[in-house]
Amino acid sequence: MLSMKNISKVFKTDLVETHALRDFNLEVKEGEFVAVTGPSGSGKTTFLNIAGLLEGFTHGDYFLDGVNISNLSDNKSATIRNEKIGFIFQGFNLIPDLNLAENVEVPLRYRGFNSAERKRRVQHALEQVGLAARMKHLPSQLSGGQQQRVAIARALAGEPRFLLADEPTGNLDSMMARQVMELLEEINRAGTTIIMVTHDAELARRAQRNIQIVDGQVCDFTMYQHGAVADKPHLVAGDKRAVEPSSVEAEEATS
Amino acid sequence: MLQIKPILSTLMRNKSGPILLLIQIILSVAIVANASFIISERIALMDRDSGTAEEEVFNFRLYSFDSSIELESQLQRDIRTIRDLPGVMDASATSMVPLSGGGWSSGYTVGNTEETAKDTESAAVYYGDEHMLNTLGVDLIEGRNFYEEEVLTGSPDLATHGIVSKAFAKASWGDEPAIGQIMYAGDFGDKPIQIIGVVDKLQGAWVNSSYLDNSVILNINLVNVFTKVLVRAEVGTLAQLKEAIPAALHKDNRNRVIEGFTLISEHRKRVYRNHELMATVLSMMVVLLLLITSLGLAGMVMFNIERRTKQIGTRRALGAKKRDIISFFLVENYIICLVGGVIGGLVAVQLGQQLMSVYSLPKLEPIYPIMTIMGLLLLTTVAVILPARKAAKISPAIATRSV
Amino acid sequence: MFFYYLDLAWRSIKKTPLLSLLMVLAISIGIGITITTLNVYQLMSENPAGDRSDKLHGVQLWSQGKDAWKEFNGQVTYQDAYNLRKSDVPVRQTAMFVTGLALQTEDPDFSPLLESVRVTDSDFFEMFSVPFLYGKAWDKGVDTEAMYQVVINEDLNKQLFSGENSIGKTLYLDRKPYQIVGVTKAWSPSPLYYDVTTGAFKDSAKLFVPFSLAPIEEYQSWGNNQSWKREPINNYSQRLSSEMHWIQYWVEVQDDKQRDEYAEWLTRYVEQQQLIGRFESPEAAAKVSNVEQWLKINEVVPEDNKILVGLSVLFLLVCLVNMLGLLLAKFLKRAPEVGVRRAIGASRAQIFSQHMVEVGLIGFGGGLLGLLWAWGSLSMLSAHFDLEAALTQLDLTMWIVAPSIAIFAALIAGVYPAWRICSTNPSAHLKSQ
Repeated sequence: MLSMKNISKVFKTDLVETHALRDFNLEVKEGEFVAVTGPSGSGKTTFLNIAGLLEGFTHGDYFLDGVNISNLSDNKSATIRNEKIGFIFQGFNLIPDLNLAENVEVPLRYRGFNSAERKRRVQHALEQVGLAARMKHLPSQLSGGQQQRVAIARALAGEPRFLLADEPTGNLDSMMARQVMELLEEINRAGTTIIMVTHDAELARRAQRNIQIVDGQVCDFTMYQHGAVADKPHLVAGDKRAVEPSSVEAEEATS
Repeated sequence: MLQIKPILSTLMRNKSGPILLLIQIILSVAIVANASFIISERIALMDRDSGTAEEEVFNFRLYSFDSSIELESQLQRDIRTIRDLPGVMDASATSMVPLSGGGWSSGYTVGNTEETAKDTESAAVYYGDEHMLNTLGVDLIEGRNFYEEEVLTGSPDLATHGIVSKAFAKASWGDEPAIGQIMYAGDFGDKPIQIIGVVDKLQGAWVNSSYLDNSVILNINLVNVFTKVLVRAEVGTLAQLKEAIPAALHKDNRNRVIEGFTLISEHRKRVYRNHELMATVLSMMVVLLLLITSLGLAGMVMFNIERRTKQIGTRRALGAKKRDIISFFLVENYIICLVGGVIGGLVAVQLGQQLMSVYSLPKLEPIYPIMTIMGLLLLTTVAVILPARKAAKISPAIATRSV
Repeated sequence: MFFYYLDLAWRSIKKTPLLSLLMVLAISIGIGITITTLNVYQLMSENPAGDRSDKLHGVQLWSQGKDAWKEFNGQVTYQDAYNLRKSDVPVRQTAMFVTGLALQTEDPDFSPLLESVRVTDSDFFEMFSVPFLYGKAWDKGVDTEAMYQVVINEDLNKQLFSGENSIGKTLYLDRKPYQIVGVTKAWSPSPLYYDVTTGAFKDSAKLFVPFSLAPIEEYQSWGNNQSWKREPINNYSQRLSSEMHWIQYWVEVQDDKQRDEYAEWLTRYVEQQQLIGRFESPEAAAKVSNVEQWLKINEVVPEDNKILVGLSVLFLLVCLVNMLGLLLAKFLKRAPEVGVRRAIGASRAQIFSQHMVEVGLIGFGGGLLGLLWAWGSLSMLSAHFDLEAALTQLDLTMWIVAPSIAIFAALIAGVYPAWRICSTNPSAHLKSQ
């Protein structure tokens, strides 16, 4: 499904070269739910941007669903984003001027569906997240959890193979966070591959598989089994400055 | 108190906004300077005095289409009839009407010997009688008017005496007294005309000619089927004389067309129409341009304030007074305006030179770009202060609020 | 997709009404000024001869003496006009000038009118495509054997004969009876290219009489009479044999070959005149110019107007720079939204198009409003300055030209802001809140 080989990404300014990713290798199979953790500045966001075709990379090979992503034109990568990938952001990123239905409709517009098809899909996607009744509301009239559910509906509307979530619960309280997580799990069970970047180790543990990025490299990854929860305390999500010691995840993984 | 350095660095960081503003100001200065120069030049042209009583003097055309008419005696009777009408101060037949755009012009030969003889500048030629000066309302400053017995009736070639405008006298004889000089209508020695008087000012018919102030009045009553008659009457009597004159003249002989009653002030309006039009359109342009520029500037300042809300709040929290915030925006504006103004001034001079080389425009005087820059500084101050006052009201608390 | 963009553009415009209004105003004022000056310019620089422009030629002769005028005069002398008429090279040709005559009818109560009259040859009407309502031009024979015949225009026919067919009726010009042979339809080319000597934007004459009558009736010249030579002109025969320039001369040729042939004929004519002591200047020559060249030589479009068009284009440029700045600010503020759109599958081209549609919409609005300004300012100017109607009508083409220029100009101004916004990295704005 997703395969990255020796990916590296270098940011160059006049004086400094920064390696955001170096020799990054990752394989994700179809239907997996992968949680990505790592300290702030480790390259999680860069990884997600590259995986989502929002950014290019300096070296390496990246295949998504069998398509070679290196040197793809802007048009092609936009099409892939549109048809195969759904995005969910920490800040929801709904367009404030558009009502819920119109927000969900945006990717369908770019896909060129006719109006009947768009209407059907918008209805379906909003039903999936339980907000079909409020489709004429503006985002500002909703709570954070509801907004994130709309964002998920927008990501689902195009029926993507592949969902990329960047701290999807970062701005939500724990109740709402759980609801959103349950929704994601449900989507995953229906067959959509999910890659989720998170600080919340508890959430991460609920994924089938955890990987951790440290200094732009995949530090460790292991198949994670549900239920095996270590009782070591971990740092609170949202404190971006804090560094989660890699050993935490490693220990948990081995248990 | 002037924090020029932080302002400069702000300007350098967001290049595109200030650069656009700069371009706008450069272009505005270049256009406004040239336009206002052309406007003032046209106004100066229109302000020139014809030397006549423009509100009192009008003319009409008299066309006799009956070949049995004895033109000479008829004309004399007509003029006398007109002079007797109520409201009329004086009247005279003429070959042309000041500022009317049509008439006679000629150059003459002057000099003491055949070898030194030279052509004068062209002059407008009025043929008329001893009533001409009074009818036009011009001031005789030297010499005398024609005597009644000196005025001849017939063709232009008969002229023997002339009254000239001061400008023509100066152009032809310099500082020598004009009275008593002889000029020749033909080559040297041919058809001599003696100068007997000088009038202070009398313009010809063509306001765009280089010799507008050169005029000559010659002692001839032209006899022609087609005659122009000048009438000087009390202000406001034209409407009534328009009826009275044709009625009185038709009583004598019906076979004439009498029409075209026009005050010299109306001729002036028509003959300067294109200049006035040019000045009007350019003034419109200048006003609108300044309006657009200041609205655009105000818009940009509004955006900048929005973008820098947090920064302004922080400054306020750190102790900046409202005045400091406003002066920050003002100084920013002045830097752009001055740089733009100086470059714009240079472009204006360049544009002026281009216009001068392609079209018959005089050289742009430097005072115009300078005045334009001053005006722009003043105007933009208003355009900046209005939105900047809003910025000064930003609460320092903004700084501490995240998101 | 276009309608989706249009919908988005409209929302965006509605969201910032003041700013949008500012931009529409800026561009509309620029367009208004430009269209106003351009309209006058276009009407002045029009070539009313159309496809006959290359066939019709004005004739100029350098007949002045050595130190006289330094350029070709726009008119010729009577004796030259008389001689030129003998050439059989051109298909058609006419000599002409304007006079004024007192007009009377058979009705004794009709108060005489002083009318300007064009004195010309029968070919005039064919050459300048004058349409006839009734009758036709006088016979060609009249051009040599003078007869008292007249062609009047539709207006005068309405005024005198309430629009009825007046062929064969009699008019009195300076108390002489003239027989009406033709009534022209309303016709007045602008500029009045065949005679620009006393202003190119006047109405054409209402009456036409044969040129062959000029020496008999001694018609006065109401046009420009220009002399380079001091010679007595105290009566009509002196005028006819003088060196004064006061006659316009036009010829019609079939093609360039015939034009060259005619130019050759003229050269020989000049040489022949030199033999009898005229055309003394070493620069003596003849020149033929087609209508387009003629309008140029005579500077029918005044300098002022060119300066105005130039300045108004600069003005429009200022408006565009103004708009560019505002657009840039507006678009960049929208970067986060664009980031989202890019992430969910909008290509750069789609984002670019979306913004260009918005800019185009603003331009279109500005164009329409600008047209309104232009119409207003033209009406105001024409009312205030009593301008010729021919110069102040809003030309029909402007209804297309104005919005096109506006949209085009707005798009140019929009390219940079739209490019900036579509080329920013989408991921940059997705994280930040």
